[in-house]
Order: sequence, then structure tokens, then C-alpha cells
Amino acid sequence: MTAKANDAREGTGRKWYDDYPHLGRDPLPVEQYLSQEQFELEREHIFRKTWLSVGKVEQIPNAGDYFVQDIAMLHTSVIIMRGKDNAIRAFHNVCSHRGNKLLWEKQGSCQAITCRLHSWAYELDGALRFVPDEGSFFNLDRKKLGLTPLKLDVWEGFVFVNLDPAPAQTLAEYLGELGTSLHGYPFHGNSATSASWTAEVNANWKLIKDGFQEVYHVPFLHRKSIPDAFTSKENPFAHVLHMELLGDHARTSLFGNAALKPTPVAGAAFMRGSFAVRKDFSVDQLPPGVNPSRSTAWAFDLNIVFPALILAVSEGSYFTHQFWPVAVDRTIWTATQYFPRARTPGQRFSQEYGHVIFRDVVLEDGRILEETQSVIGSGAKATFMLHDEELLVRHSQEAIMRRTHGHGAPPSTPRNGQGGAA
Amino acid sequence: MSAQRFPAQFADLAAWSDWALATEAERGSKRQASTLEEIDGFYAAMLARLDETLSFLDQYTLDELPEECVPLMLLTLSLAEVAPAVEQFRQAAVTDGFDTRRFRPARRGYSGPAAG
Repeated sequence: MTAKANDAREGTGRKWYDDYPHLGRDPLPVEQYLSQEQFELEREHIFRKTWLSVGKVEQIPNAGDYFVQDIAMLHTSVIIMRGKDNAIRAFHNVCSHRGNKLLWEKQGSCQAITCRLHSWAYELDGALRFVPDEGSFFNLDRKKLGLTPLKLDVWEGFVFVNLDPAPAQTLAEYLGELGTSLHGYPFHGNSATSASWTAEVNANWKLIKDGFQEVYHVPFLHRKSIPDAFTSKENPFAHVLHMELLGDHARTSLFGNAALKPTPVAGAAFMRGSFAVRKDFSVDQLPPGVNPSRSTAWAFDLNIVFPALILAVSEGSYFTHQFWPVAVDRTIWTATQYFPRARTPGQRFSQEYGHVIFRDVVLEDGRILEETQSVIGSGAKATFMLHDEELLVRHSQEAIMRRTHGHGAPPSTPRNGQGGAA
Repeated sequence: MSAQRFPAQFADLAAWSDWALATEAERGSKRQASTLEEIDGFYAAMLARLDETLSFLDQYTLDELPEECVPLMLLTLSLAEVAPAVEQFRQAAVTDGFDTRRFRPARRGYSGPAAG
């Protein structure tokens, strides 16, 4: 499929819906975003059962390096630790003695994990090494009192954990074609530098996810910051180049305006290094899952990794949005932008501009989320109307409702007609 | 920070040395605490010298950047920080944006000069 295929779509009035009619065209019930009962079903059937992205291997390069991911929704905290054997493991951050939270820092490095309360000490592989005054316990078997492990696996440097002791799928199976089709993208090389921001947002996690998985809003919400980046005279509404469902995951490609005239500082930054949007790529060198339509008007792809990770990939950099539900109306949102290592001051300047403009653009997104959440409980509107370009919002809700109410395996997602993923 | 040294040909930029701040959090706070007039003044002074400044700094790799060049480097990062305020929003804060004080820099995954 080339850019012309999308042009042809524009001309014929063919809709993304025609590729995925099983999703229907009905409005979306607002109640799904408000219901405490629904939130609890999501906890049990989604977050306790699926592979959850918690960080990157680059955060823990050496033995004893760790980071901690608190998962308030599941009433736990998880330690991700690199062992002396270089293996990465995950443990509940809970002492075997009387349940104290072991590591309180978000990240760090240690030789052993020692509880503050009574100095029970654990090896980096979770084995219980030392118990003070051990002889005063009753039949204490240290071999049975190691840290409680969680299933952990790594995909392209992304660390995932699964709260289910016996996951239905391996991580590779779970990610499926989304995972395999990105193989070859230089995630490692493009990860050398990163900037990350986090906020607790007073909004349902699905509302936040939806905000980042449709492009219809861009020319309007972002009219001050990036009014022309993803539109053109021929594509005034930022219609996407590509839309593809991959099981419960999905991918879409944003159109980039090649005629964009940068502002002075953006232009200076663009000349000197990495940027969120570049047009000097060779499409043939990209993995099949990057710019899948092979369009020369490509900006970047949004990969929607079920349930709560958005991975946006461009040629020279990538960024993620990660959502951790806290309560039905509260979510921890973390945005992270990754670049290759800056070698020169000019590249460092360029990347800093990339960080700042990215941050300021997503601040525009962030405000909307709480404003929306503050009124959807009014009962004024029972449904949300969905535009054809908001297909991934519909798809995400379908997957969530199926897993929370049908509890079944993901359906196949055949595309009807032409313009397929092949 | 007014005592910071600048390379001789950029001595005039020492007038803006209170913008030579080491972290994004500090640069962002400075932007938010400044009037648009103050931001416009800094932006204009830096933009006029930007190509010259970056060409000068690019004599060195980032790892080998001499200490006396670090404040000048940091001024370019502050220019990046204020650019959207000048070029997009025409005010310090993101127009109708989420409160930047609640969107906290969580980590920077690299080290070295001008890392923060």
C-alpha cells in the first residue's frame, strides 16, 4: 500500500469502518467510563491478567540496579531487579516477615534487599539470605521465604510483568504481530537519552488512553502548538494514512505535512538532530510494522499496546504514554520521549527543543482530560459519538468490554476488502 | 548566577546568565515566573546569536565541552524552553494547558554536561 492508496480512500468515501464492520457504528455508552463496577472488572480481568509494561532495561544496566513500579489498583508495588547473573526479575515489594514494603525509592542500586523493619535481607534473586535472631523463630525455613516472584519478560528492551501466576499467553504470543512487525527498529540505539514526565490525573484511564489514540482532535485542540504539522490543504482534518487492528492491540500512521514551515527555533533544532517528525528516512529500511503503508507523507505511528501503553514510533525517536489506573476517576499518566545519544551541543539543543515542544503539546491534551471527566457524570449525555477516524477508541472499548463481560479469547480481526496489512 | 563566565565573543550574553540553569525543572520554573516581555527579550537576544553560538559550541563534543562553555550551552537549552511561549502561545504557560507544576519531570535517562 502506498500513499496513493490513502488518496484513493479519500476519493471514494471508503471508511475505516468498512475494514472492520464487526465493531459497528453505534455511539459509545458513557457509563463505561464512570462505573465503579466496571473499574473492578477491569482490575480483575485485564490488569490482573495481561502483560503490563513497567519500564525499560536501560534503567537497570548493572547487577543490583532496580526500579520500583507501584500498582495501586492491584494493591501492590513491584521491584524490577537485575541480578548478579544479569537476569532481570520481578518481585512483589513485600517482606516475608510481616509484610513491610521493602524498597521505597523509585530506583536505585543495592547489594541486597534489606527490610527497614527488622533487617531481613534478600539476595538480588529474591532468596532470603539473613534473618536476625533466627533461632527465636519457630520452624522457620528460609528456603520457603524468598520474595514472591512475578512473571516477567522483555520485548525489544521493554520490561513487562504479569500478575497472573500462570499467564494464558507468553509475552511474545500476547504481543503477536504488533511485536514481530517492529523487530529491527533500533529501540536500543534510540533509547540512549530520554525525558519523562508524570502526573496524577483526575480522569478515568480509558478517557486518557482515548485522548492519545485518535488524531481527529489534533488540528483543533493543538491549534496553537502544532496547527499544521499533521494537516495540509489536501488533508485538512489530519486523516491518518493507515489504521490496523492487531488483536486487542492496534496501529495507526499519522500523515505528516512535508510543506510545514518551522518556527525559527524549531527550524534550528530540526537542522541539528533528532526530532519527533522527520522526512529524510528511507522507507525500505524500516521494519514492516513501521510506516506500514510505506507512505512518503508519513509522520509517525501510534502502536496501541493493550491495555494501557501507547508506543509512538518515528524514524529517529519514539515516545510512550503509560497509564496506571488508581481509581475509577484517577490515573497516573507517564509520558516518556526517547532519542539517540546526543554527541554534540547542537544535538543536545535539538533534543531539548524536542522534549519541550512534546511536553507542551501533551499539556494541551492533559487539560482536556480533567475537564471532560468533570462533566461526564452529569447524565447530560448517555453516549459519546464516534467519528470514523476514532476507530481505535471504538476498538479499545470493544476489547475492554469483551474481556470484562465476555471473558473470552480475543476474536480474530479480519479486514474486509482491500488495503490490508499484508 | 551573574558571575558566570562566557567565552569572549559571547560576553554580551552574560547579561542573560540568570537563564543559565542546569535542569528542565529550573528552566521551566524560570519561564513560568517570567513575563512575556522578559521572555521575548531573552528569546530575541539568543535567536540573533543562535547559529553562531551552536557553531562555536559544536567545536567540541558534548563529553568534552569545556567548563567555561557550559553556561552558554545552558542558555541554548533555555531558548528551547521558552521557544513555544514565544512562537506558539504568546504567553509563558501553555494556553489552556494542564498545570505544568503537576506534570513533573520524572527522570532523565542520561548523564554528562548539560544533562538535566
